[in-house]
Amino acid sequence: MPELLLDVQDLETQFKTPDGIVHAVNGVSFSLKEGETLAVVGESGCGKSVTMLSVLRLIPSPPGKTIAGKAIFRGQDLLQMSDDDIRSIRGAQIAMIFQDPMTSLNPVLTIGRQLEEPLELHMGMNKQQARDRASELLGMVGIPRASDRLGDYPHQFSGGMRQRVMIAMALACNPQVLIADEPTTALDVTIQAQIVELVKRLRDEIGMAIIWITHDLGIVAGLARRVFVMYGGYIIEEAMVGELYANPQHPYTLGLLGSLPRLDDFEYHRLVSIEGLPPVLYQKPTSCPFAPRCKYVAERCLKENPMLEVVAPDHRVACWVDPKTGRIRS
Amino acid sequence: MTSDEFLVRVEDLVMHFPIYRGVFQKQVGAVRAVDGISFSIKRGETLGLVGESGCGKSTTGRAILQLYRPTAGHVFYGDQDLTLLKGEELRRMRRKMQMIFQDPYASLNPRMTVGDIIGEPLIVHNVASGKEVQDRVENLLQLVKMNPSFATRYPHEFSGGQRQRIGVARALALQPEFIVCDEPISALDVSIQAQVVNLLEDLQEEFHLTYLFIAHDLSMVRHISDRVAVMYLGMIAEITDRNTLYANPLHPYSRALLSAVPIPDPVIENSRNRIILEGDVPSPVNPPSGCHFRTRCPLAKEICAEKTPELREIAVGHFAACHMI
Repeated sequence: MPELLLDVQDLETQFKTPDGIVHAVNGVSFSLKEGETLAVVGESGCGKSVTMLSVLRLIPSPPGKTIAGKAIFRGQDLLQMSDDDIRSIRGAQIAMIFQDPMTSLNPVLTIGRQLEEPLELHMGMNKQQARDRASELLGMVGIPRASDRLGDYPHQFSGGMRQRVMIAMALACNPQVLIADEPTTALDVTIQAQIVELVKRLRDEIGMAIIWITHDLGIVAGLARRVFVMYGGYIIEEAMVGELYANPQHPYTLGLLGSLPRLDDFEYHRLVSIEGLPPVLYQKPTSCPFAPRCKYVAERCLKENPMLEVVAPDHRVACWVDPKTGRIRS
Repeated sequence: MTSDEFLVRVEDLVMHFPIYRGVFQKQVGAVRAVDGISFSIKRGETLGLVGESGCGKSTTGRAILQLYRPTAGHVFYGDQDLTLLKGEELRRMRRKMQMIFQDPYASLNPRMTVGDIIGEPLIVHNVASGKEVQDRVENLLQLVKMNPSFATRYPHEFSGGQRQRIGVARALALQPEFIVCDEPISALDVSIQAQVVNLLEDLQEEFHLTYLFIAHDLSMVRHISDRVAVMYLGMIAEITDRNTLYANPLHPYSRALLSAVPIPDPVIENSRNRIILEGDVPSPVNPPSGCHFRTRCPLAKEICAEKTPELREIAVGHFAACHMI
């Protein structure tokens, strides 16, 4: 039985804005086991990135604040520990890569310098050891002539290569968890395929757990073991990957899958669009946040916000209505 | 080939952007964005143009509309050669051809109201004035399924999807026949993409529009297009109808591109054999000799470096440019 690595409970994060307090994450609970790949799916503003940034305490404060919840990583609560302690975990045991590698790399330092610095600081290596390890890491992520390229600057790399450098930096201290925040969104599809293959290979070699944040249900299908779908700061559906695609239960998940054209579809289907816009929550909702856009909306949806309930083994959904029958769940 | 059947014909289109260096601004080279391509678009159809960033697909769209004046080649609209037209003659043709842009945040002037944005083409082209403009604007807003009262608001008050609708309304203002859609949905969320694509399909049916749909999302291109052209580094690799391209891609680049697209189904995903291309797209300043794809092609032989492959008709209506087919 793989050990539980990360256990997040009832996480709540808010942002103070001139228009009022935005409730970005509203009581999110999830867990991650050793070596597991978990995908977090949702559209812009659904709270998927803020959830993970809150866990790592990377939310800029002010305006952001995590007001409740626990994030237990190997017995310790990340949200309660001192700044020094969390710093020794971030980058070392839990690493993160971001969407835009250009803004995450320092443009005036060589790639080698940026890779060696954490190795010297976190791992106590000397200059030569750090240099050797840096070129080994670049080789691992598939950068040709790795040792020659340590002296190059970020602008001398293409987008895909920069993302490889970011992955090399994330792997530098052998993390147990890699959080990937839309790492392929800015890349072309052939380069995306390269990066996804690379991450899968490294995952199997190193055995790290991955949390992959994305809006692309296509990538998730081939990568993740378990998926959760977020909407309006809530997890609204959670299932094993096969179950989620074969038997989606939440009207929003159904809508997302229906609005995606499929490459292997030989017959023309009109896309099922979800009308309306995702919400910005200035108040914690008392009704289902998806209700205004939902085709199956019932009276109860407007009165009470549904919580996650088990509907099948390893499958939880936050919805009052069973979309197959259109009736209220018993 | 009659001009009745084909609305737009592109012949050997070349678009090079010169690079200048030094005190005397001497030309030292050129970005060869589009390097000699030919294709035609039938009246009423949607031609999808796909490829990765930097392959020249947007440049092609702009060069067709004469937003860039092509370095060489011809663009026929009906039987008029647009590359020979100037001034008032070109302006008159422009009414028939419009464009929808990728970034709905950058393509709308933040200081103009929605009504002014949509009404501007009507005034510029002297089609309407005064109250007429206002009526047309309200009509157009209804057409793109927005509230006519939004005409007095400013772009920042709208979401990305709504702004893209405003862009669509502006493109429709002059009742064009042909619209170049330059990545109209790339900047939008998944659920909003479907809204805009459905709208474009409805409008096409209602007004018999012809689209050139430029995108990098192959699944969406397959969905919306009748025929698809695949571009790589300024050249066309393959053109055929949508089902043939996906069932029987001939060009090694098309095959790799299609195999890289994830399918939202874990059962299929886990049984697929991916063709993973090595390396990155070379720079269009100095593209490889012969076939531009040869540096990443798993099938490349000597001939590919020596001779540029012609776009040949391999089967009826199925064109590919490769020596190995």
